[in-house]
Amino acid sequence: MPPDNGGYAYAAYAAAITIYAVYSASVWWRGRALAKRIPAAPDAGRSGPPSGAA
Amino acid sequence: MGADSFLTGRGDADAARADTGVISRQAALSQLAHPLGALFWLAVAAIVATLVRIAFFTPTEASQGLAQKIFYVHVPAAVTALYLAFALMAVTSVLYLWLRDPKLDRVAASAAEVGLAFATVVLVTGPIWAKPVWGTWWSGDARLTSTLFLWLIILAYLILRQAVEDRAQRARYSAVLAILAGLLIPFIHLSVYLFRTLHPQPIVLKPSAPSLPPEMLTTLLISFASFALLFVALLRARYRLAAMTDLVDGGVYANGAN
Repeated sequence: MPPDNGGYAYAAYAAAITIYAVYSASVWWRGRALAKRIPAAPDAGRSGPPSGAA
Repeated sequence: MGADSFLTGRGDADAARADTGVISRQAALSQLAHPLGALFWLAVAAIVATLVRIAFFTPTEASQGLAQKIFYVHVPAAVTALYLAFALMAVTSVLYLWLRDPKLDRVAASAAEVGLAFATVVLVTGPIWAKPVWGTWWSGDARLTSTLFLWLIILAYLILRQAVEDRAQRARYSAVLAILAGLLIPFIHLSVYLFRTLHPQPIVLKPSAPSLPPEMLTTLLISFASFALLFVALLRARYRLAAMTDLVDGGVYANGAN
């Protein structure tokens, strides 16, 4: 009869998943934050047809 | 070319272009829209499948009970951290000191950071497994202490990288520290043979055949493959983030012309 210690296994897996998830989220968050630091292109947000269009 | 442009320091758009390769604003924004990439989600799917196999299709060890299943997350994390991440960090640091290519510095820094996440999993899941099996959370023996010591050195490595502003100096100093950290890897591997310890000796990475029942060995190998895939996905994402940061800090997109 194996010992009843399943709680330790669940705790270990929960801790591991949390660590991997937090680190992955930090990479995602830093990537998104970096994207916001890239200035918009000069013609971004300009409305109307491109110059030279009929 | 890479070495010279690297040494010109921060804020130099030409240097950043030369170091990282030219990438258009649109391509940069496209990459940063999905910082983790498709490979990461493939790794997540593989890990979910692995967890299903561990829970429902792998036998429970008779003497240790369910706590033994911590093995399938603890060992792959340890192998990935020590023999993939920190070994890659040390090798690329040696190559950086030789070739002075900033790409190698970025790979080393990325491997160190991702490896630290895996090593944290090792140091958290180890004590949770030790408590029901050894009767104690922690034992101050050579394997556990040297692993904690390596974790602290990698943490110091990442703090050092934040502390030094000059890119060339930062890369040189951190490469030296990374090489010193890498020297600990064979010591940690051999520590269970050299010293008396509660920690078991390797059951797969050893000269003789693995001493595991076939179902457990198959699950361990599948788990290792899944977590190795996660490591590659995170390393790729972290390297891309480092390269893009150099482009942005280098002012490549500052004038809006790219």
